[in-house]
Amino acid sequence: MREPDDDEMNPAAEGTTYPAVPFTVEPSRVAAFRALFGISEGVPPTFVTAAEFAAFPQVVADRHLDLDFSRVVHGSQAYAFRRPLREGEELAVRARIESIRIRGGNGFVTIAMDLEDADGVVVCTARSQMIERAAGG
Amino acid sequence: MRSRAAVSVGDELPELARVVTREDVKAYADAGGDQNPLHQDDAFARSAGFPGIIAHGMFTMGHMAAAVVAWAGEPDAVLAVSAQFRAPVFMGETIVAGGQVRSIEDRPAIALLETWVRVERDGRTEWPVKKGEARVRLA
Repeated sequence: MREPDDDEMNPAAEGTTYPAVPFTVEPSRVAAFRALFGISEGVPPTFVTAAEFAAFPQVVADRHLDLDFSRVVHGSQAYAFRRPLREGEELAVRARIESIRIRGGNGFVTIAMDLEDADGVVVCTARSQMIERAAGG
Repeated sequence: MRSRAAVSVGDELPELARVVTREDVKAYADAGGDQNPLHQDDAFARSAGFPGIIAHGMFTMGHMAAAVVAWAGEPDAVLAVSAQFRAPVFMGETIVAGGQVRSIEDRPAIALLETWVRVERDGRTEWPVKKGEARVRLA
């Protein structure tokens, strides 16, 4: 048994859900994505990252989770679509802590976010695995 | 959308190369919303142990997804994309996205792709900085 460590995330925060955050699929931002990645039409799949960044602040501010964002690196990312995002639509972004594992002082957290449309349909689920590197390492 | 009849297991995606520039990374920060100074401030990046700023992992993943979209024919045909982030990418480096059809599902017709991004660094290839998968609907 190891001692609880203030430098690490709190494993008991697994399962935490956060209030929905509104996100508009802003046509000007979508156009900037298309221009950057040479895509001529539609909403680029990784545009969903903009919705994730709308909901991240409440995860980072969650003192129960105790994630030190200055030590975080992005481990992996996945997007699964029920349908494509539509330019101009309003979505609700619901974040949850899907899993937390601590190994060798490094914390591995999977943050899942559902993007719901006005009818309550989850149009996309985003999963980010973040790695909180050991403090002082 | 790409036709099922035109796709076979083992098909390769056309490679997509780009040079990573500060201007593009800054434009990405503004469009994507990730204003972490690690991607804009060299002094900050050095304090984090890097020789200079690095591209957002999502910038490189966005490039990988662009190769998938180009192959799929349209973004709406892309049902899923995922990536593991394995190494940082620095300014001035060339990233090359590619992929291959690993399997095909029928009814509905969907291609499962293995994807990657490799980086040309100091005249040699480091491979890969990203590995990923994608599911693409076929017509």
